[in-house]
Amino acid sequence: MKILLIEDEAGLRQTIKHYLHQEGYVVESAADFNKAAEKAGVYDYDCILVDITLPAGSGLDIVKQLKDKGSKAGIIIISAKNSSTDKIRGLDLGADDYLAKPFDLAELNSRVKALIRRRNFDGNKYITINEIEISPEQRQVKVNGESVNLTAKEYDLLLFFISNKNRVISKNTISEHLWGDDSDQMDSHDFIYVHLRNLRKKLIEKGCADYIKTIYGIGYNFKVNG
Amino acid sequence: MKLISKTLIYYLLVSLPLLLVAGLLSYFLIKTELRDGTDETLASDKAQAEKLIQSLNTSYPVYLSVDSLSNIKLSSGAKLKSGYSDTLVFNIEEGESVSARMLRTYFSFNGSTFQITLLKTTMEEEELLEGILATFTMIIGLLFLSFVIVNWLLSKTLWKPFYSTLSQLKKYDIKRHEQQHFNSENTIEFNQLNEALNKMTDKLYLDYIQQKEFTENASHEMQTPLAVVKANLSLLMQSPHLKEEEMNQLQTIENTVKKLSSLNKALILLSKIENNQFVDSETVSIKTIVSRVTGNFAEVIQSKSIHLNIESSEDLYVKMDPALAEILLTNLLQNAIRHNKSEGKIIIAIKHNQLEISNTGEPLNIPKEDMFIRFKKNDASKESLGLGLSIVNGITNLYGFKVSYSYADSLHRFKVDFT
Repeated sequence: MKILLIEDEAGLRQTIKHYLHQEGYVVESAADFNKAAEKAGVYDYDCILVDITLPAGSGLDIVKQLKDKGSKAGIIIISAKNSSTDKIRGLDLGADDYLAKPFDLAELNSRVKALIRRRNFDGNKYITINEIEISPEQRQVKVNGESVNLTAKEYDLLLFFISNKNRVISKNTISEHLWGDDSDQMDSHDFIYVHLRNLRKKLIEKGCADYIKTIYGIGYNFKVNG
Repeated sequence: MKLISKTLIYYLLVSLPLLLVAGLLSYFLIKTELRDGTDETLASDKAQAEKLIQSLNTSYPVYLSVDSLSNIKLSSGAKLKSGYSDTLVFNIEEGESVSARMLRTYFSFNGSTFQITLLKTTMEEEELLEGILATFTMIIGLLFLSFVIVNWLLSKTLWKPFYSTLSQLKKYDIKRHEQQHFNSENTIEFNQLNEALNKMTDKLYLDYIQQKEFTENASHEMQTPLAVVKANLSLLMQSPHLKEEEMNQLQTIENTVKKLSSLNKALILLSKIENNQFVDSETVSIKTIVSRVTGNFAEVIQSKSIHLNIESSEDLYVKMDPALAEILLTNLLQNAIRHNKSEGKIIIAIKHNQLEISNTGEPLNIPKEDMFIRFKKNDASKESLGLGLSIVNGITNLYGFKVSYSYADSLHRFKVDFT
């Protein structure tokens, strides 16, 4: 899987690159408009992460350029301007997703995975982790072939964990994933605990191993060996 | 009081004593003139009488008038004072005394002395006064009328540019993002006024825009560094060698970054509202939004054992940006949840053109006027940013709605008036 990361801020560029590299992606990066336009024009990528405000140009023009040449790459816009007009314009031009800064790497990672999954639906329709099998299209979960009845929040939580398996995810990150902007407004950590407890119980009831480890003080880790 | 009315009053205040003096003066002048006229007639009558004495040569009294007041008598004995005098005579026809002018004189002819008494009734003073009063009242009336007419014409023409500037100024609202231009006039004073106003509003507008842009740009510029911190924190958390204490520190940093980015988001939202960047306008059903927003918060409301009651006999439709409508209700509901107590109540009442959200909770610690001011918090509740109600206020201001707060029966009540 090849990803092109277009981001002018060096600190962010390196961190994202590092994180995605750990996830097993081949990541190339571009720091300004011209370099980005050149790479996007010459090579094929599975996914392109593009910042809107770039030195010497707008990331939206790169989206347009990609769409004009008929690129099949999934495009995620990352922008400091959380403006609905930018978002609508980007999506109209053919971008697949829009992520406002500051975002969590785990969130970015799960969006990239979801996007790649959607793009390659001719391939594997299921996500399989040992005894767990998830069908994202139907939002269904099976453990050892037996379906598990999860609430929407529990399902989102499980998918988020699996997208970020073997990583420590903080409670704040989970709460932002589950509740978006509203996460600021509630004592979300308590709610995460409630949903997590229920999810764990339902999975274990069906004979699933307890993969979710509590990392004291920070959050959780969905640990899968191998 | 209108400037025009004030001038009118001043004009009248000045003209009234003037007219009074003029009235008195003309009264005396006319009186003197009239007397002089009477005296002249009497004098010529006297000459006539003397000629009569010479031609008649009689010693009997001669009556010169029907009422026998004017007469010529042979004088014997002491002479009365001769000359002009004012006297009263009884007028039989009118049945009252009337004022008269009398000339008494003595004339000697052929050794006898004749007393000549000549009388002429004069116009009564009262009549004169009445006449003058009537005249001057009429003059004052006419003056007043002409002042009013002239002033009206002046305000229609001369003061017209002033009133148009005034109405422009009244309508001017810097938040509307329009530059105001006051036209040049051919009256020097008004032209200067408009020039000064143009200069002032241009400067105000420029400062306002710059300040607005600064807030928005500053907040945007902070997003990327925040993203860098957040991303690096995530990476750092993956380290397998972290000790418990370090994890706690990481958690503290993460919470702070989260708060900082929420603050930043709220500030950006606020400046976007104030900068008029929400331009969508749709007819929004408040009932629908209330049920969606309360749905979003169902978990929290349940966990705090808050009793939620929605009273909506009719739906309320408002023309506004749907995103802002949702933000408005989210912030109000959030406020009602956050400042509530366990087992408390929230009542949402959708009425005609009006929405009320009431909640139980401790009374306010801050003056209620400060409620909608940025960063004014009732308690140092750490989850609260102190911007929620400022955002509510910003949205209502944008559309000219009214939001008000009251506290009664241990219920905090926020009322939004959509008219």
